[in-house]
Amino acid sequence: MLDSTAARAFRAPEGVVQAALVLMRAALLVYAAGFVTALAAVLREGTRAARWTPRFAAAGALFHTAGMLAMGWGLGRCPLGTLPEVLGALSWVAVLIYLFVWWRHRVEVLHLVVLPLAMIVLMVAKLLPDELIPVGPSMQPSLLRFHLGAIILGVGALFVTFAASLVYLIVDRALKAKRPARYFRSLPSLAGCDRMGRLSLLWAFPLLTFGIVTGAIVNDAKYGTPWAWHANETLSILAWLLLAVVVVARIGWGWRGRKPALLTLLGFGLVFLRMFGV
Amino acid sequence: MAILLYGANHQSAPLEFRERLVVPEGGLVAAVHRLIGHEGIDEGLILSTCNRTELLVHGAAPATGETLREFLRAHSRAEPADLDRHCYLHADREAVRHLFRVACSLDSMIVGEPQILGQVKEAYAAAHAAGGLRSVLDNLMQRAFAVAKKVRTETGIARAPVSIAHAAAARAREIFGDLRGSAVVVLGAGKMARIAAQHIAADGVGSITVVNRSYQRGAELARELRGEALMWERLPEALEKSDIVIVSTGAPHHIVTREDAQRIARQRRGRPIFLIDIAVPRNVDPRANDLDNVYVYDIDDLKSVAEAGLRERRNEARFAEEIVDREASAYIDWMRSLEISPTIVALRDHLHALGATELDRFRGRLGALSPGQQQALEEFRTALVNKVLHHPIQALKRASTRPGSGQLVAFLREAFGLDGQGPTRGKS
Repeated sequence: MLDSTAARAFRAPEGVVQAALVLMRAALLVYAAGFVTALAAVLREGTRAARWTPRFAAAGALFHTAGMLAMGWGLGRCPLGTLPEVLGALSWVAVLIYLFVWWRHRVEVLHLVVLPLAMIVLMVAKLLPDELIPVGPSMQPSLLRFHLGAIILGVGALFVTFAASLVYLIVDRALKAKRPARYFRSLPSLAGCDRMGRLSLLWAFPLLTFGIVTGAIVNDAKYGTPWAWHANETLSILAWLLLAVVVVARIGWGWRGRKPALLTLLGFGLVFLRMFGV
Repeated sequence: MAILLYGANHQSAPLEFRERLVVPEGGLVAAVHRLIGHEGIDEGLILSTCNRTELLVHGAAPATGETLREFLRAHSRAEPADLDRHCYLHADREAVRHLFRVACSLDSMIVGEPQILGQVKEAYAAAHAAGGLRSVLDNLMQRAFAVAKKVRTETGIARAPVSIAHAAAARAREIFGDLRGSAVVVLGAGKMARIAAQHIAADGVGSITVVNRSYQRGAELARELRGEALMWERLPEALEKSDIVIVSTGAPHHIVTREDAQRIARQRRGRPIFLIDIAVPRNVDPRANDLDNVYVYDIDDLKSVAEAGLRERRNEARFAEEIVDREASAYIDWMRSLEISPTIVALRDHLHALGATELDRFRGRLGALSPGQQQALEEFRTALVNKVLHHPIQALKRASTRPGSGQLVAFLREAFGLDGQGPTRGKS
């Protein structure tokens, strides 16, 4: 993160922002290549395409990281100032978290869910107006950064929760329908999905909670009230409540399986809606 | 010299014939010893299982086929006509390909079954003990093991479940992942229950509990499975704690009803339960499958999983065949390329020797020669031989970098008579 004096000292050359955008586009392309190889591996078994998916994803993440750094350098500030920048950071974090989970647990199916999600977020970011998020006069910008950082990390982890819950429901249906073994090959076990969903939610939920609380403080500074009852804010609180129910059900009541997976899906849907209108 | 393979398998010969060919395990070393005692056989190995008896040798090509047939005839006391009807003889590339197919379990009754590779390894050990393996076959067998490993990892011929018990175990893993934390309950103590339980417990499970109407029989099975037995009255209690239930009793009605399953599922709070019903008539109400987190598989469900598995293996076998074809060709090419430099040396020695002999023969007729003339003659001989050698040697050197060099080597050896007569090639 660069503050304005440091920015002046560093004085980015012309075209760095352009270069950053090119890097982001390259990241998008490489993610797409990773997604295609993952898809190919599912459609035609025994192809070596699958080996390339994590490499593409990692290469994409490198481009993405370089793009973020160049963006920060070129703008002379932390690249979390506008909605597209926040979304770009969000997909970046989601890819990093997913790569970490894949590396630790080798859950191949994550490629098929998280990569396209990250791509969608990156692409939507391109379509949105590039306006700076207004910062209130009495607010320290660091608080806004805490708020955005927590939300970005939380939603990034929630991507994995979403993937786990979605795959849980797919595997559940396939088991009930008595599909042949071939069908399950690239899917994790039912118990594995459940564990992954639980663990990633337990990371995502506190981060989102922290993000919402800091968001309320930011609001207070900006508008003089912590809660303005905008449609967006109502959507976030609804999503948060839903996820809170899942957390309580999982930890307090020992719930597992289908029901928490369904509720998580719903909660993520609300978060996703909310995401494109900060 | 050639690699030859002679024998019969489950496709070429009926059981009555195959059982006459079998070389018992204890007699394997002695049999290999006898085999390599025959003239023209350099190295030998015998693979004998219930599905096949095959002799693999490295030896002098044309006569050896006959020797192998005679060896099996003497061993089995079968009619020569029967041997000719049921046995096959493969040479070089085909022999290598056949060996690779066997080692990869492509030639097995159930494609991809894992036992055959172990049997091939035993045959290898026996041949080794009998001194039947030297550079060529030893190398070939190592290659066969490597190809088998490659095929197993790169194709799915050994992956899909092909039996009911195997299908049940595979499905259990699709639900629970690792079974080491799972509690298994076996209802009934019949053969099917035992086989299914053994498959599921193969890689370790959390616990096994056998519940049987006759406590005595249940306790026996429990001992076999290293689990514990419970009285029939304690069935509900056992079910509550179970993750996987194998049901196979002779009862003509549902032992686990939909209501039972519902009650258990509620107590488990969403933890999945897998009910494997291999009894006929069925012992688990199939409607329980509609309940959340309850998965009921009956014998037909498992059969269809197994049948799909068999189809999948056959499908995967096509990729495996491609690998085997490629590897067999590569192996033969590699082997032939090894013969290139000895062939060049042999060719050179052979022609220079010829030149020297002929020159000696004609020297007498030339009368007395001055040292200068004598040297000129020597130079003439050397130059002529080198001119004649130039193109064949160039061709061999070029061929060494390409596949298919074997044919050229074989042709030149034959055209110049390098095998058989002359001071050329010793045994390798």
